[in-house]
Amino acid sequence: MNGAVLAFALRRAAATLALLLALSLLVFALLYLAPGDVARNLLGTRNVTPEALARIRELHHLDEPFLAQYWWWLSHAVTGDFGTSIRTGGQVGPLLLDRTGVTAATAGLAFLLSVLAGVPAGIATAVRRGRPLDRVIVAASVVGVSAPGFAVGLILLYVFALGLGWFPVYGTGEGFLDALWHLVLPAVALAFGLGAFVVKLTRAAVIRELDQDYVTFARGRGLSERRVLRLVLRNAAIPIVTSLGLMVAYLFGGTVLIEVTFALPGLGSLMEESVLFKDIPVVQALTLVVALVVSVTALAVDLSYLAIDPRVRARAVRR
Amino acid sequence: MTEGPVTEGPVTEGPVTPLLDARDVRVTSAAGVLVAGIDLTVAPGETVAIVGESGSGKSMTARALTGLLPEGVHATGRLELSGQAYDLAARTPWQRIRGSQIALLLQDPFTSLSPVHRCGEQIGWALPRAGRAAGVARLLAEVGLPSEVAGRYPFQLSGGMRQRVAIAAALAAGPGLLIADEPTTALDVTTQHEVLELVAGLQRARRMGLILITHDLRLARARADRIMVMYAGRLVEEGPAAEVMDRPAHPYTARLAACDPPVTHRLPALPTIPGSVPRPYAVSDACAFADRCDLAVEACRTAEPVLAEVAHRPGNSGHRAACVRPSDVRPVAAPLLAVPPAAAVPPEAGLSPALLTVRGLTKRFPGSAAPALDGVDLEVAAGEAVAVVGESGSGKTTLARCVVGLERADGGSVEFGGGATGPRRVQYVFQDPYSALNPGLTVGASLAEALKAAGRPRSEVSGLLDLVGLPAAYARRRPRALSGGERQRVAIARALAPGAEVLVCDEPVSALDVSVQAQVLNLLSNLRRDLGLTLLFITHDLAVARQVADRVYVMHRGRVVETGPVGGVLGAPAHEYTQRLLASVPAATRAE
Amino acid sequence: MKPVKRRMKRRPPVVAILSAVVLAAVAVCAAGRELLAPHALDQDVYLGVVGAGVEGHLLGTDQLGRDILQLSLAGARSALAGPIVVAVGSMVIGVLLGTFAGYRGGIVDMLAGRYADLLLALPSVLLAIVVAGLVGRGYWVTVAVLIVLFSPSDVRLVRGAVMEQTPRPYIESARILGIRPTRIMFRHIAPNIVPIVVANLLLNVAFALVALSSLSYLGLGVPPGAPDWGRQLADGRALLGDNPLAAVVPGVLIILTATAVNLLGDWLSELLDRRVVAR
Repeated sequence: MNGAVLAFALRRAAATLALLLALSLLVFALLYLAPGDVARNLLGTRNVTPEALARIRELHHLDEPFLAQYWWWLSHAVTGDFGTSIRTGGQVGPLLLDRTGVTAATAGLAFLLSVLAGVPAGIATAVRRGRPLDRVIVAASVVGVSAPGFAVGLILLYVFALGLGWFPVYGTGEGFLDALWHLVLPAVALAFGLGAFVVKLTRAAVIRELDQDYVTFARGRGLSERRVLRLVLRNAAIPIVTSLGLMVAYLFGGTVLIEVTFALPGLGSLMEESVLFKDIPVVQALTLVVALVVSVTALAVDLSYLAIDPRVRARAVRR
Repeated sequence: MTEGPVTEGPVTEGPVTPLLDARDVRVTSAAGVLVAGIDLTVAPGETVAIVGESGSGKSMTARALTGLLPEGVHATGRLELSGQAYDLAARTPWQRIRGSQIALLLQDPFTSLSPVHRCGEQIGWALPRAGRAAGVARLLAEVGLPSEVAGRYPFQLSGGMRQRVAIAAALAAGPGLLIADEPTTALDVTTQHEVLELVAGLQRARRMGLILITHDLRLARARADRIMVMYAGRLVEEGPAAEVMDRPAHPYTARLAACDPPVTHRLPALPTIPGSVPRPYAVSDACAFADRCDLAVEACRTAEPVLAEVAHRPGNSGHRAACVRPSDVRPVAAPLLAVPPAAAVPPEAGLSPALLTVRGLTKRFPGSAAPALDGVDLEVAAGEAVAVVGESGSGKTTLARCVVGLERADGGSVEFGGGATGPRRVQYVFQDPYSALNPGLTVGASLAEALKAAGRPRSEVSGLLDLVGLPAAYARRRPRALSGGERQRVAIARALAPGAEVLVCDEPVSALDVSVQAQVLNLLSNLRRDLGLTLLFITHDLAVARQVADRVYVMHRGRVVETGPVGGVLGAPAHEYTQRLLASVPAATRAE
Repeated sequence: MKPVKRRMKRRPPVVAILSAVVLAAVAVCAAGRELLAPHALDQDVYLGVVGAGVEGHLLGTDQLGRDILQLSLAGARSALAGPIVVAVGSMVIGVLLGTFAGYRGGIVDMLAGRYADLLLALPSVLLAIVVAGLVGRGYWVTVAVLIVLFSPSDVRLVRGAVMEQTPRPYIESARILGIRPTRIMFRHIAPNIVPIVVANLLLNVAFALVALSSLSYLGLGVPPGAPDWGRQLADGRALLGDNPLAAVVPGVLIILTATAVNLLGDWLSELLDRRVVAR
């Protein structure tokens, strides 16, 4: 049985690896997407002398076939060597590492906030379907999914930082507590949309389970409402976990806008700066890193089914 | 337990305190009344069957008695359980009632258990924490399952085993009364029999009351002490099972019993009830059955008849009916024919050339261990009606789908004799009338399209409708404005549109109520006679096979285990499996 | 036996009516931009940024001295036109490719599936930022990029809906009757997936509005100086101290419009759902 589960896990991992490989090709092709000469794009605004161009061509193997160039880039990328940034002239790898902390902290905080608020709210609304509390929270969640993070962020800034002065306006702060304090508004702005999303999907999942026959049967044989709710939640956990996995991708889209709005030096604002500057090596590296995180999350969700859904486990074993 | 009328129920003499005594149970939704005031008592050890077709309110009654009505549906009335009275309209303390006093068992064992919990857990929740494992093992043993089932998940068990687990779970808190809502309808015939036997045994052992909700009169007769017949939200007749079945005092009961086809012999035409069941709230100040009743008089249409003792009958034992002319009601006797009707004379197999020949058909679906078809041979002569009977998983539907090309067989051949094999010479009638028609198209548009595909003019639509007994005006209707039986008629008309010679019918009546089933079966047999149609009829129901077919093939696990003239195979089955199938049929009309 | 269809003729709920009113107002502004906001782009550089209530500038001005009210009215056009094109465009791809993939299966299905997997493995807003940033900055270029990025989820949606219909008896009957596959796809299957398509179309409009204004917020959508809510927000970010309305007004407008579209979409899908159930 354990061997079969392991085989299943390996198969899923292999599929993820194949997907990542395809994505890396796509990401590498980004270099060719920008209008103009590739070598010039890689030089950026630096002095364009024939010597510099020739050096860039040699450095990036630009005279070799596309696939050879790709291989050269990929073999370096997997070791963490993403080349040099056009804008700063420094190594891309360390630049990324430098910016990761802020993003991880903001995104992590936002994820935590949205799950801790969203899941209970979604359960509460599902159980009280059609009652006033349900209507209010559902309406609020529609506003939440409709509101772009940066608009929410600016309004929060205006009200809580400029107006009431409870929170700092920009920056990251110093020391752990101060840094956390600086991240509260960005995380809340990010969690607003995310949490609304969590409410919606939790509510839908719980309602779908509440309508099942096994709930009627559980009540019909006298199980307590608490037990019935636990039964429902255990079943609803499967779609909820799937959607939480999908949200990681959503988080990365949102974090760019939030970091720009709050002037946080994270991966998101690095992405904005690099895109505007056409700093292609950095953009490639960032995109690949995001793809990696998203795919690995999807893999983790897939594997978590083995733990939470016995039907998937059985199918994995049977194959 | 033997078949036939059950006599070992409680003796209803003396002041036996009923287990459950419900008065004036009324169920209402936003649309109107769904159940119009029903009284119901159950004594310890007694089985009461509530019988009715879809829309009769039988399931709503069961839900009302357990406080499990769907949202927006409300009940009123008085409920007395072991001497304690409750008002159904007020906040009833269901937590104290359900489980320990009443438990509700549902129809579909595939959906009534949580898919992600082990069976042992699900049974054990109602047991005290201490000694839970032992309690679960004891309950499993009681329902005839080995104790290792406790560690299994429901999806690892067969339907019958799941229903046993569900029964164990329902009994865990020791209810005095079990309400079983169509507990065996989703199961195969042989499993049905086993589960019903199990329930009867448990009931005796625990002296438990049982309310059996069913659409099947024959099953009610075989299993119940008393029968209550519901129609359009009303109780139309109640009384001892044998009394109600043998001497019905309401025309509906009499007609309904007659619609149920016998498995022992073929009727020239099945008795039917014209029209369809009205919605409960659409009837007021009249007998709900008046429009379909040939005994109806003026009084039936001006006031709703009250439930009254059927006085003149001997051995009066609570037989009551809501009819103004109970003494004029007679059991509907279907004429018995010594010789089968003309159209049904089977052409001797082998003499007349086969129209459809299936040779060595094999099919295995990816991912399944056992083959769906394991070398099936079958022949159908022109004008012949052949039934393929079997339980779920026998491969009968796969066979039918291979014949019309919906499924591609792995090996073997399907051939049509007698000239060119046009693709439209064989058509298909599906089981589910509700998805058989495109919901977006009118009946006329669906039929016209089928005609056009075969190069025939649109003007033939009304002729097709007439052929299946529907008025031409139905061409403008959409499927949602039709009843199940009417949809199935349209589906048959569409299959006939290209001038099909062979009609493959896949359980065409199993989703229909008995009275409607009889209408559709009669239609098919008329079409066969008038158009010289050839039928390949797939069914799980031996009685239906008996009525429509000349010859029968019995399938089991992808193989044909027995074949021959229907009278021979069903009258004197040779194969052990066929014998088992026959023995499982509830035997109200078989015990001659 | 008359089915209960009366219940459907119920008046739409207040929320739906309000949403429709909001959208109608936005649509009027988008269509009559030249009439309603003729001075949207007039720059009063000497005035610069002023707060609300200045004579002639009810909501104040931005750093270029443009009137916030007029600018916001004018921004309705890019807030509506682009998202609608994105939603319709990606849904057209979704319906064509999804129907084929779902009904025919085989290689088309495989390719459509892989295409969707690939694009869905990256957050679409992020991809849009990258692609729009590298390809060019025109509004319609961005719209085209979003169409491509939105289409995989529509392909999946339609494919799933089609695959749910395909094994139904009415489709199989049509096959046995010898009706042509294209006719089955577009006459039988397509009308029955309309509810899902329509509801999702509206949700996509809202999502595209958020995505497009996100891009212009980053300076990638509309060209600099064009009236656009996202860009107004980006400009207003620096003016929170002087004229907060420069950021708050377009921010509220984006949220209001997207919410209205979403609410209308939710209501519509519920309505159409009920109709499907009533069948």
